[in-house]
Amino acid sequence: MSGLKLSNLSKCFGKAEVIRGVDLEIEDGEFVVFVGPSGCGKSTLLRMISGLEDITGGDLWIGDRRMNEVQAARRGVAMVFQSYALYPHLTVKQNMGFGLKVRKEKPAEIARRVEDAARTLQLGSLLDRYPRELSGGQRQRVAIGRAIVGHPDVFLFDEPLSNLDAELRVHMRAEIAALHKRLRNTMVYVTHDQIEAMTLADRIVVLRDGRIEQVGSPRQLYSRPDNIFVAQFIGSPKMNICAASDLAGPLSRAGVDTSGAVQVGLRPEHLRLVPEQQGLMTGQVVISEYTGSGSLLHVEVAGVGTMLVLSEGQEGPRPDDTVYLAIDPGNVHMFDADGLARRAEDAGVSASGAMVAER
Amino acid sequence: MVALNDTEATARRNSVPWLTLRRREAIEGWLFVSPTLIGFLIFFLGPLIAVVFYSLSEWNLLSQRATYVGLDNYADALTANRDFWHVIRNSIFFAAGLVPLNMALALALAIALCRPGPGVVFFRTVFFAPVVTSAVAWAIVWRFLLQGEAGAVNQLLAHVGIDGPNWLREPNWAMVAVIVTRVIKMVGLNMILYIAALQAIPRDYEQAARLEGASGWQIFRMVTWPLLAPTTLIIMVITTIGSFKVFDHIYLMTGGGPENGTLVLAYYIYEQAFEFFDIGYASALAMIMFVIVLALTIVQLLLRQKGSA
Repeated sequence: MSGLKLSNLSKCFGKAEVIRGVDLEIEDGEFVVFVGPSGCGKSTLLRMISGLEDITGGDLWIGDRRMNEVQAARRGVAMVFQSYALYPHLTVKQNMGFGLKVRKEKPAEIARRVEDAARTLQLGSLLDRYPRELSGGQRQRVAIGRAIVGHPDVFLFDEPLSNLDAELRVHMRAEIAALHKRLRNTMVYVTHDQIEAMTLADRIVVLRDGRIEQVGSPRQLYSRPDNIFVAQFIGSPKMNICAASDLAGPLSRAGVDTSGAVQVGLRPEHLRLVPEQQGLMTGQVVISEYTGSGSLLHVEVAGVGTMLVLSEGQEGPRPDDTVYLAIDPGNVHMFDADGLARRAEDAGVSASGAMVAER
Repeated sequence: MVALNDTEATARRNSVPWLTLRRREAIEGWLFVSPTLIGFLIFFLGPLIAVVFYSLSEWNLLSQRATYVGLDNYADALTANRDFWHVIRNSIFFAAGLVPLNMALALALAIALCRPGPGVVFFRTVFFAPVVTSAVAWAIVWRFLLQGEAGAVNQLLAHVGIDGPNWLREPNWAMVAVIVTRVIKMVGLNMILYIAALQAIPRDYEQAARLEGASGWQIFRMVTWPLLAPTTLIIMVITTIGSFKVFDHIYLMTGGGPENGTLVLAYYIYEQAFEFFDIGYASALAMIMFVIVLALTIVQLLLRQKGSA
């Protein structure tokens, strides 16, 4: 097993630079998720690690070996593809044993290792079937099984769950998490789904336009985003971003110092519906989306715009109702003119205790 | 308002009770297919049936008199006529030479030209152009190139010290020359079929195999080739059938010679019918060829069913 080190890694396709100087260290045994909108370069970065794309600039280290010019097959990595890439003319057993067979392992050894992997993934009864005879979830497990059989140091997953339906996705997510717990290999996982990233990762790498926006634990990214992009990308429903000047009144009444902030971010779950006398802002419900445990309200606040508010409980307000909102002073995110986070300690003011305490 | 069902509505609108929607559609359907159907009956099925009758009679085109002779023509071909077996042997030799050469070349070209790259479109065009070139022009040019000493092919060979044969005048070499020039003309078609099949194979397969340590040859042998099997089968049968039916190429390049060295079945039929005017015997030969091609087609269908099961 081994960790990874990406140092000033870059990639160009012709004149287009798709990965721009990525620096990242991944610890041995860590589960790291690359997340970002489509076209941000996350899959390309994964394929550069795997060796399927060559590296234009910078260095890639796996363990203590520099891997830039090393063939894909000799990097000690295994990859699970979005399409699964199971060979349709081979049985599950043959698919899983393919890598060992091309490396001229003895048949007995191949059989033993395939059976080991099949046991780990509960594929024993499917070994003689063809991929077309399997369900989506089973194919996914076979693809993972094929990766396990080669005993790689590093597992790479390229959006492995995006072809599955919602229910199966949640199930397979848990299986992948359990697998990581059992194998303790280094895993690098690409997804565009921030929920998948939050639930699986030890650390999340948020990418945009081929650059790293922020690296941190799911909790860090949620509670201390470095910039507006990360703030809005992580967390669902999305964070409200408003001009600081529009919210100056309510925020100062809530005891939040907004000096130096140009924009302010408030998560829908940190805006509370309160009785009129406690309200810092007044708004009118435009749309109410019932979610079962509560409702997601689109509230029009005069002079601020539409804000998303998460209201708990069955009997939420209805469209056209007037509502009064309180702000959780410990969960106000402030950003400067460039969209970068301004933390209380940056301004030299010790306000909002919760944010400081979290450090 | 109560919705009427189709039948009622149509009947009422037309005020012709028996003309229900279903019947109306059936009549329209037959009208639409009738041009093709009538053409098929007159120009295809009709002659086919006529050939069966001709094959059972002795009919010389010049005498204009036909007499029923039963299976004599067939017996003549299969037992008495030494030319027939010579012709069959030539046809098999032609197919056995052409089919593997054509397919191997088509696959090699397809692998080289299946992915976008510099010059790929140009070379695809170069190799496909002969397919749509006039067979007459093709044959004339090659007859010119393959002339004895003055021909361009032999002059090129002379440069590397090889004294080339008089290609189209020596029985064994004539067959080789006909096969090779036919392959060069037709290989583009199979190349396109192989390119389509190769492009339909997801690149993930190749990449997954590469990550697992497979060499280029292993990927081809263990992944690409098995996935091409259905295409290979179809190409093989189509090319084999085509090679049994070859006529124009032989007619234009060698006329079946020298010494009947390139006399293949389709050309032999033509020769019997329109040079010796022996319509009965030629028809019997045509029926034999029909059976051979039909058998190959059935084999193809059976193999395809087996492949897709």
